[in-house]
Amino acid sequence: MNKLKGALIHVKSNIGNTIIDLLEKSIDKGIFDAVIVPMKVPAGDSFVYVLVKDKSLIKDGVPLPPTMFVQGAKAVSSVTRLGEGNMKIAAVIRPCETRATIELSKFGQTNLENFTIISMDCPGVLPTSDFLKDPEKNMEIFNEAVKNWDDKKMRPVCQICDKSSMVSGDLHIGTLGAKKDTCFIISNSEKGNDIAEKLGINLKDNLDSWQTQVKKLSEEKKKKRIKAHKELKSKVEGIDNLVESFSQCINCHNCMRVCPVCFCRLCYFDSDKVKHNADDYLTRAEIKGSMRFLPDTTLFQMGRMMHMSLYCVSCGACEDACSMDIPVAQIFSMIADQTQGLFDYVSGRSLDEPVPLVAYKKEELHEMEDAND
Amino acid sequence: MTKALRINESTEKGIIEFLKFLLEKGKVKAVFSLKKISDNGAVAYSLITDPDELKDAVPFYPLMPVNAGKLLSRFTLKEGTRKPVIAVLKPCELRGFVELLKREQGSLENLYIISSICCGVFPSKTEVDGNAEKNLSKYWDTVKKGEISPDIRSVCKACEEFIPYTADLTVDYLGNNDIDKKCLIYLNNKNGEDLAKDMKGDFSEKELDRKKIDKIKEKRLAEKKKLYDKIDSKMKGIDGLVNVFGRCIGCHGCSKVCPICYCKLCEFESPDSEYSPSNYETELRKRGGLKVPPGTIYYHLGRITHIGISCVACGQCNDVCPVEIPVADIFKKVGESIQKMFDYIPGKDLEEEIPLVTFKQEEFAEVEE
Amino acid sequence: MERKIGVYICECGPNISEKIDIDKVIDAISPYEDVSVVEKFKLLCSADGKKFLEEQIKKNKLTHLVVAACSPKEHEKTFMEVCENAELNPYLFQLANIREQCAWITEDKNEATKKAIRLIKAAIGRVRYHSSLEKIEIDSIPDVLVIGGGIAGIEASLQLARPDRKVYLVEKTSSLGGLVKNFEKTFLGMKPVSDIVNEKIHEIEKNENIKVFTDSEVEEAIGFFGNFEVNIKRTNEETEPVELSVGAVILATGATLFNPEKNPEYGYGKFDNVLTSLDFEKMNLTGKILLKDGTTPKSVSIIHCVGRKDKEYCSEICCMYSLKFIRYLKDKLPNISVQNFYSDLVIPGKTDQKFYEETKEKNVDFIRSSNISVAKKGNQLNINYTDENNNKKSLLTDMIILSPALEPTNDASKIAEITGVSRDDEGFFAEEHEKLNPISTSTEGIYIVGCAKGPKNISDTIVQAEAASGKILSSLIPGRKLEPEVKTSYISESFCIGCKTCLSVCSYGAIIFDEAKKVSVVNEVICRGCGNCVAACPSGAATIKHFKFNQLYQELREAVK
Repeated sequence: MNKLKGALIHVKSNIGNTIIDLLEKSIDKGIFDAVIVPMKVPAGDSFVYVLVKDKSLIKDGVPLPPTMFVQGAKAVSSVTRLGEGNMKIAAVIRPCETRATIELSKFGQTNLENFTIISMDCPGVLPTSDFLKDPEKNMEIFNEAVKNWDDKKMRPVCQICDKSSMVSGDLHIGTLGAKKDTCFIISNSEKGNDIAEKLGINLKDNLDSWQTQVKKLSEEKKKKRIKAHKELKSKVEGIDNLVESFSQCINCHNCMRVCPVCFCRLCYFDSDKVKHNADDYLTRAEIKGSMRFLPDTTLFQMGRMMHMSLYCVSCGACEDACSMDIPVAQIFSMIADQTQGLFDYVSGRSLDEPVPLVAYKKEELHEMEDAND
Repeated sequence: MTKALRINESTEKGIIEFLKFLLEKGKVKAVFSLKKISDNGAVAYSLITDPDELKDAVPFYPLMPVNAGKLLSRFTLKEGTRKPVIAVLKPCELRGFVELLKREQGSLENLYIISSICCGVFPSKTEVDGNAEKNLSKYWDTVKKGEISPDIRSVCKACEEFIPYTADLTVDYLGNNDIDKKCLIYLNNKNGEDLAKDMKGDFSEKELDRKKIDKIKEKRLAEKKKLYDKIDSKMKGIDGLVNVFGRCIGCHGCSKVCPICYCKLCEFESPDSEYSPSNYETELRKRGGLKVPPGTIYYHLGRITHIGISCVACGQCNDVCPVEIPVADIFKKVGESIQKMFDYIPGKDLEEEIPLVTFKQEEFAEVEE
Repeated sequence: MERKIGVYICECGPNISEKIDIDKVIDAISPYEDVSVVEKFKLLCSADGKKFLEEQIKKNKLTHLVVAACSPKEHEKTFMEVCENAELNPYLFQLANIREQCAWITEDKNEATKKAIRLIKAAIGRVRYHSSLEKIEIDSIPDVLVIGGGIAGIEASLQLARPDRKVYLVEKTSSLGGLVKNFEKTFLGMKPVSDIVNEKIHEIEKNENIKVFTDSEVEEAIGFFGNFEVNIKRTNEETEPVELSVGAVILATGATLFNPEKNPEYGYGKFDNVLTSLDFEKMNLTGKILLKDGTTPKSVSIIHCVGRKDKEYCSEICCMYSLKFIRYLKDKLPNISVQNFYSDLVIPGKTDQKFYEETKEKNVDFIRSSNISVAKKGNQLNINYTDENNNKKSLLTDMIILSPALEPTNDASKIAEITGVSRDDEGFFAEEHEKLNPISTSTEGIYIVGCAKGPKNISDTIVQAEAASGKILSSLIPGRKLEPEVKTSYISESFCIGCKTCLSVCSYGAIIFDEAKKVSVVNEVICRGCGNCVAACPSGAATIKHFKFNQLYQELREAVK
């Protein structure tokens, strides 16, 4: 893990403008050719990621939007999946989006060669459907929540997120623990150091106040997390509860498609392998006298979990997209903690950590071996 | 004049009795119908082979968790069912299935269809919010009166195609005051007659009450005008398109639940639709900025081009959209205008070919020079 | 096309007929629509049986064949040949094992019959979805790639090369000879060796069937016995790699010395006149043994087992060559005093003890010691040590020769990765079986010889080089044809998303990544059909011929219905 280096900088008006300022300066100095930054749509009821080259357009950027319509990693991946091109690009995304981007890079779905990731301390995001009820009002509510670092209205998984200040990209804006009208610019890589230098930012300041506050917050959230998971576990544990939890699922697969780490072009559960003869279906139906059609709803959920649990970044995009309001993110996130914990792995923590699924270690998981061996 | 069967039970009970009769007599080996599948009230389509399991069946429950036409296509995609099955479908689900059959995406072999004169369905979220049961009695009241329930999907309110074309049997609900006491089933063809033979009830010859139907159609047309006016006001020109589809997140849920979208790998998800680094560089040079992931409106325009001719306006796409874009409303309007050009009603006639692939020597002379 | 499946049940003498009610089985199978004939026969693998099957296939115009008999290990090939003779594609056939997996595991005739019916129904269910598959034949390549131009590689090359078998010898430095070219003599016989090595090198250069690549490295060696695709690149140059095909590969990459700088107590690299054994061999070859300042040393200390505590093994040759050093020193500087600091002396073999005794006679000290450290004292070196009685002592000397452990070369891991050869805990290449198959590896066609697989002396190295050559000469015969695996994997270009998970789990290097299309592609000639990629692919873009999802699903379905 890199040792973090930081600088305390002055904040004009607000953090958002400060970041925009830095981006504009960077383009001026040729540090980046283009940036990916959230912007409000013309209708004012949503935020989208925009790849911008024209400096005059950057000023409309909203670095910390109240909602996460598209998971940032998906936006980044769509730009660099087929190669790094000739442009130096920077993206301003949340910590969980950063982690998903790094994870995707391990699977060749994002090329980070000419890419810089800038993240920031994240208070969470509002659920999309809540936001849409009254976009203008909810924008205000969000801004207030940021001021007080109040997560009550955020996504359920945001409320128990203990990684909201995790630094795995190149640069990170630390707002916690910073005195009024200041914030920290933190570098986590050579790339970040380089950029800071080119911007005339001297990374020699003490990060203690940020680190202390981050640690305090993370520990609080962790306690909440453990408690929430305990309650959730009792609700979904056992085959009956599990089936019940997903009984409303209509297999629209929205969750799978908005998930940043579900990257298969044709999902196994959409492929020919799950398409059977009428005869086969009828035979199955005859066994219990009645069979839900299409069957295997729980199989889809468990299968998807098995495929992506090791890479889940607990962003909550799935739950927002669920057309039947099933608490998918809460369930998947809870299991991800455990599967990743088995390998001491945190999805997206570092590019250097190989994916546990295919990383061979001679000594591993002895506790799973037969007791009699 | 059509043959009809009147069962002397409430319509709800009568249908169950009829389905039970079919199973018990071995006329069908399975019933495909909506069913209550869990204690929390979740309702889903099921294949029912045991007559006793019909106790939880809710055949014409006003919910459409999935378009059943799509399900029947999946059921018979690899080969037609060898054992006789009867499926309970709403008219748009049936029309969707017929459109799929025209594209080799299923088989009618050994498959019987029972449909109804449709009174519309609640949006799926109603169920989730726990309001489906609560709204039911209100719903049935409006049905009896031949009025439009305020709680149904927007496209249902505006739907003129509420009488099924190709069903073997049709249940008559709409505008019938006596659905608590009687169950009226039209036997539309020989299949229908054979199925109903020996069922307990009164057989007669009946005619659909055209006056009642026309009155209901009028009300629906009025709703359609309101719906289309609303769309027109929001969606003028390119700016209008951006306005409405601006918050689309590209989840493609609309495509996945659409009965007509049947491609294994959608064009807009294939490598053909991916932007290369040089594509981005070009766009940035031209425009200075580009939404990522790109192609949002292109996807919707592409999809309407591909399926518009067969859109049955079922409304699944509205329900599944996570950002509440009125996709169904828009696709209904645009789809209808495409279909009108060819005088085509999707799913009306299995023998009628899809206009896209039908060559007519004399056609569209008006667009020629 | 209408399916006509023929099902034939073998009585296998009394083996099956007495344990299973075959008539009952026939009754159960006959009603299937697409099964056009069900028959039993006394012994299908006999000449009569095979003839019967062939005639049946032709007569009934069968499109698929199911045989219910013994284990596929016994007779799958037999019946596949019958299909070929009857002009039915041999992969449109399925064998149901109703002997080893049925008749032979229970006395209960009822249960056995029921199971036999299930097994045959499962075979029918599967065979319905079989596709014709075609065999391919390729020429096996008799040529050999030898990686490493030391004595092992040189010897193997000379043994193997002939007009109908080319040898490609790749050496990473600029000259052949490896470690041995630096030795004036070898221990035991004290015979001159560098001349002999030079002569062999000359022979190689003359030999037109051996192509030598110096300053080169192997970048790729993928394939299987009879067909390896190899890439050789000149190091530090931007030239195009040379692409070759060979039939076998010999890894003769040798070893290198443990770096004594890692144990600073020996003063190597810090003080003058502290040499490694290889430094000393080179100095000795010049004919003059001198200190840094140009003067002649009066005393030399040889410190054994340098690096021994870092490595958990003995390097076998150091004690013996230390004795050789003593001889070198006494030959050139008769009055020199020599001390050996050792913890154990390893003197195996039939003449080694005598060599030791004779060396000891020449006035040499053998000091059993531990805790050795070296310090500078004026112009000399002071060795501090603990003797075998636990006394702390010290000794002044002019020159120190360190005997460091032998360890794998630093490109061993790269070569292991390229060739797929595993390494042992110490990093040397691992053999297939330490006693019974000591120079083969788990990849057929790749052999490991010499110090690349563990420290050893020259004669053992020569033995191994000759052994590997022998194996190749007798098995890789020019003109022989190879039949690569038919049931290989296939990755759908449209569905592959390029995550490379399949690449990570392919043990044979059979998957290549197309950078332009960003998809994985299977090299069908190298693929062994192990199925790892199919299991690992999350979306199912990878499938295996003859083990398609539907084939397995239908087989299972019929078995459990």
